Amino acid sequence: MEIKKINEQENTLEIKNLVIHYISDEEVVKAVNGVNIIIKAGKTLGLVGETGAGKTTTALSILNLVPEPQGKILSGEVLLQGRSVLSMSERELEVMRGDKVAMIFQDPMTSLNPVHTVGRQIAESIEIHRKVSKQQALKQAKEMLELVGIPSERSNEYPYQFSGGMKQRVDIAIALACSPDLLIADEPTTALDVTIQAQVLKLINELRQEYHMSMLMITHDLGIVAEVCDEVSIAYAGRIIEHGTLEDIFDHMRHPYTKGLFNALPDIGVKRSELKPIKGLMPDPTNLPSGCPFHPRCDYVMEVCSQSLPENKWLSETHCVECHLYKDTNESML
Amino acid sequence: MDETVQKYTTRKGFFKQYKKKSRLQETWNRFLRNKLAVIGLFIFVFIILAAVAAPLIANYDTDAIRVNVPSRLQSPSAKHIFGTDELGRDIMARIVHGARISLVVGCAAIAVALFIGGALGAIAGYSGGKIDDVIMRCMDVFLCLPDVLLALAIVAAFGTNLVNLTIAIGLAFTPKFSRVVRSAVMTVRGVEYVEAARTIGATNTQIITNHVLINCFGPIMVQVTLYVASAILTIAAMSFIGLGIQAPIPEWGNMLASGRVYMRDHAYIVMAPGLAIFLTILSLNLLGDGLRDALDPRLK
Repeated sequence: MEIKKINEQENTLEIKNLVIHYISDEEVVKAVNGVNIIIKAGKTLGLVGETGAGKTTTALSILNLVPEPQGKILSGEVLLQGRSVLSMSERELEVMRGDKVAMIFQDPMTSLNPVHTVGRQIAESIEIHRKVSKQQALKQAKEMLELVGIPSERSNEYPYQFSGGMKQRVDIAIALACSPDLLIADEPTTALDVTIQAQVLKLINELRQEYHMSMLMITHDLGIVAEVCDEVSIAYAGRIIEHGTLEDIFDHMRHPYTKGLFNALPDIGVKRSELKPIKGLMPDPTNLPSGCPFHPRCDYVMEVCSQSLPENKWLSETHCVECHLYKDTNESML
Repeated sequence: MDETVQKYTTRKGFFKQYKKKSRLQETWNRFLRNKLAVIGLFIFVFIILAAVAAPLIANYDTDAIRVNVPSRLQSPSAKHIFGTDELGRDIMARIVHGARISLVVGCAAIAVALFIGGALGAIAGYSGGKIDDVIMRCMDVFLCLPDVLLALAIVAAFGTNLVNLTIAIGLAFTPKFSRVVRSAVMTVRGVEYVEAARTIGATNTQIITNHVLINCFGPIMVQVTLYVASAILTIAAMSFIGLGIQAPIPEWGNMLASGRVYMRDHAYIVMAPGLAIFLTILSLNLLGDGLRDALDPRLK
């Protein structure tokens, strides 16, 4: 799938044709099979997909932290502000991580070190990237805490003294400590309850706008996407099968899988309507079906679907889809 | 949400107290609940005090070293609580001065082992793969040999003196520590906060020292106490066969060795150093077990 080149300078992140497999003695897990992603400066891209669609692996590749030794980046390019991440030296990577790109993790309960105070953990990132003394770093850490809505007096407390939502705020403070250009949020609200989810999302969104950051929001919650994202990429079996602006995807979805995702959402306005689940399960990434990976589950399956991988089709300037239904014409055949 | 917690905590004093309690305090309270461990701690502190206060209890040169034949082989009395040995030296004096040697050499040897073995284990556990294999297979080779034998070989090669003995025992215990530290590091390595540290650009060294080792502190401390006991036993064993601490210097192992000839008629001569070794090892083991239970939150 090729995304039209707009202007290289404007893109904070560009992932081209990325292929990552996890290779062990017994099997090959095809986690990412040719992902293309572009995030423009200051914009938020939502990467949506089921568990095992290769979302997190893609995100880790941006930091060049795909788990070794099993994880192998077989081909593709990751360009961060035009610089190739995959060819950086270890030293360059350490300078880039945290300063240019920062990540918010799924589970704040496990992503904070239990034996350090939260202030120290925020200061750590500042100390690594900025030439400041320990005291100054701690002072800045306290400011970051205030910024995410935690009183700075609590910087001397340990993670176990915080609630889940506050820990996630601390996580956000760590990620934003060096005001990165790109923020990766890997399902940042999955471990939180719904009311806290809303607060945390609001906080992320506000800070992102304040700092003019680009963001990659990884999630499987379409509600979150609608709230914070500018563009959406739908991932399935390690490929981006549909990409577009929020309107393209939410109002004019084209791919049968995307339609399936929306059909599986409960509608609060309609009484007693039954949800239509997508039949079947996510394919086994060690043994992907031939042709289009979605064809065994697709309601509109055709003969060609099992034979060849669909090409990327641009439906408009912003909207593209990878499906045989849209082979020859821009018109929907559905 | 926070204000409600605040309200609740100020109204209910006990809840506030519970929240404010630090980790260390909680561990300490758990430790105190274990009677055997407290007994172990008590004995060990007593032994340390005896070692520290040794010069106050008895003069090193006149009581523990100088030969005083007329008063040889005296049974325990008010003047000589544990009696005198075959050369007329006060056994009590030799025990307390011997405690200094045993404790210092034992702890120093474990420090050596912890430093070298810990570094190797941390590198092996953190890097994994081939580096892990090479380091750990080398350690396994040394692990095959009994500590005493390994220490003997090193002392035999470099000569017997206090420093060599310390290094020899330290090296003999190195493989054990490398294993302990490696497994502790491996459990922490995969944890998310280590990954998180990498995403903010921390170097490997920073990650190992700041995030990995500090979280392995508990299990390593437990092993340290248990291995100090074995190291002290090893020193005694080596001194007993004449390759450890040499004759005029009082040490429990060589006291046993020189006293065993007189054991039949003067049992007290070996009883005191034997008891000293026994109590030290026992107290350290109780202490180590207690620490392990206290540091393991699952055994609350």
